[in-house]
Amino acid sequence: MLEIVLSIVIVLSAILALIQKDLLKAAILTGFAGAALALLFQVLLAPDVALTQAIVEGAIVPIFIALAVKKTQRSDG
Amino acid sequence: MAQVQLVILFTSVALVVIGLYSAIFIDNIIKKIIGISFIEEGVNLFIVAIGYKAGGVVPILMPGMDTSWFASNAAYPLPFGLVLTSIVIGASTLAVMLALVMVLYRRYGTLSTKVMLADTSKREEYDE
Amino acid sequence: MNELIPLMVIVPLMAALLISAFSKLNKVTKIFAFVVAICLPLIPLLSNYGLHYFGGYEPILDNVTGMIYHPAITYSFTFLQQIFIGAVGLLTFLVIFIYLTKYKKVSGPYLFLLFLGTAAVTAMMLTDDIFHMFVFFEILALAQVGIVAASSIDYSYEMALKYMVLGSIGSPMMLLGIGFLLALTGSVNVTDIAVAVHNGLVDAASPVFLLSLALIFFGWLYASGMPPFHTIKSGIYSKAEPHGAALLQSFTVISMISIVLIMFRIYASLPIFEVLIVFFSILAMILGVSLALTQTDFRRMIGFLAVGELGFIGLGIGLGTNFSITAGLFQALNEIIITALLFIGFGAIVNATDEVDTRKLGGLLAYHPKVAIMLLIGGLAMAGVPPLSGFQSKLMLVQASLSCGFPEISILAIMVSIATFVVFVKTYYTMFLKPKPNDLDLEGKEVPKAMIFAMGVLLIIVILLGIFPDVVTGGISNFVGGIL
Repeated sequence: MLEIVLSIVIVLSAILALIQKDLLKAAILTGFAGAALALLFQVLLAPDVALTQAIVEGAIVPIFIALAVKKTQRSDG
Repeated sequence: MAQVQLVILFTSVALVVIGLYSAIFIDNIIKKIIGISFIEEGVNLFIVAIGYKAGGVVPILMPGMDTSWFASNAAYPLPFGLVLTSIVIGASTLAVMLALVMVLYRRYGTLSTKVMLADTSKREEYDE
Repeated sequence: MNELIPLMVIVPLMAALLISAFSKLNKVTKIFAFVVAICLPLIPLLSNYGLHYFGGYEPILDNVTGMIYHPAITYSFTFLQQIFIGAVGLLTFLVIFIYLTKYKKVSGPYLFLLFLGTAAVTAMMLTDDIFHMFVFFEILALAQVGIVAASSIDYSYEMALKYMVLGSIGSPMMLLGIGFLLALTGSVNVTDIAVAVHNGLVDAASPVFLLSLALIFFGWLYASGMPPFHTIKSGIYSKAEPHGAALLQSFTVISMISIVLIMFRIYASLPIFEVLIVFFSILAMILGVSLALTQTDFRRMIGFLAVGELGFIGLGIGLGTNFSITAGLFQALNEIIITALLFIGFGAIVNATDEVDTRKLGGLLAYHPKVAIMLLIGGLAMAGVPPLSGFQSKLMLVQASLSCGFPEISILAIMVSIATFVVFVKTYYTMFLKPKPNDLDLEGKEVPKAMIFAMGVLLIIVILLGIFPDVVTGGISNFVGGIL
């Protein structure tokens, strides 16, 4: 059951991230998808991958994107 | 349960398709890059699902475990090791792309791919 | 000494890291980079042939099925790897020599990228592990992007970002293909996968297997700059510094042949595989030469010609006989050296004139006769004029396609060679022989001595390989006999 919920969360946040007008929100939603994916890896019996995924895709990548957005512009368009 | 793997397969296909769509059709370069990271996540998810074993255990040999029971019940750890590398590679390519975007933004003042990338070909008349 | 096999990758990798860490010390960095660059071609020459298992994990014999499994990442070092790693090591040495003599203050990150690229292609050439190859394929893409972005040419950042975006669509596709192979066979070792395919453990006609071929093939097209990626590939050559471009094209050729040899060992039983390779190679030959005709920027022209030459390599491998694969690999070795010679030579002209448009150049023969003569010989070698090395490999390719029963392909190959000759001579005429335009100022501008030295070394190799091709072809033929 958990994997279905997590899958829905991942796909929804991926789509929401790409239709946001505000790029900072998109960065946060990317981190959300990454963190949910890390939980899914835990369900799939890969705790080591889950740890790496939680750190890299859940925290570092959104911070990178947010920094790039801060240095450029916040709105899409 | 085959159901788990089916759900995972759908999720990874959905992530790859969303990512490909945004990498090809969305104009904003940062969203393109976010889409590319979704492609990578989808592929990683697929490879982890290869190693998954329904009703299995985490492939870490704890003290006190029976070795033969462990060998027949643990998930296959090789794909997990590959995905670890792949996640880090994905993050580093993303960082390089964002750095290039930040440099280019200073020159063009916009994040639109149409202005930033395709326009060089118009200024160089020999580029088709 | 088999211990030297991993050192071929470790030495440039460690050098790259150390140089970027201590790039503040200018003099030390220069000497260190020079010493490491000398070592790069020497290590493969001194090393013995053999296998290296990382971590010392020897292959395991499964008593139940009677099959051998390779648990470790395996490096296999044979004559083929020796000549290609030696060639790329020599080229790296020449490029770093040119770079060190050109600038008083060297940039640590740039040297880092050059060494990183060399380490990556060396590992791709040596490895027998498909995922290990993928990792270094990604590192190579990053190094290439860095080399392009580090040049001071206009729009190099745009080109680098474009290449990177395309690459980060192409490489997950390749990873997905590797994932399918892993799901089918449970291994990432190429020898194990090939054995599983040949013993019928994998259904060769299953859609998953075909899909994995399609995905890895897509990654190969991206890595080698075959159509539809020929425009971006020639673009990154023209946006890199000339000596950087000389190294970039050797990276392209080596990554192309190392991926295609791995694909060949896995998928050779599928008839569609060879058709696909021949189709895309012919497309690359025709598109490369015809687009080269229309260029006015001579760096772009050489870039497209290099893509056209890649088609010859693919053609040899796609035909699938021992003789044709030998011819294709020999052509790959020749292309690495000849194209590097042309890039360095035209780079010397850019240095001396600050001009890349052929229409604004002319009469350079009187000012730079050494460069002119060496470039002429290099161009003739690329077009396949006897007795230079390009002639020997193209002759072998034509003979191979004739003996396979495809006279059309050999006629096409000859026509593309003639077209290459025409493109080169046309550009050469406008640059060197045509009267000098009045507004072109050539006084007081010298070609760097290091570039002439590098061209001389490459030219000697071109002529030697043209006169004694058997030195190389015999060993390559033995290697090809081993994988068929």
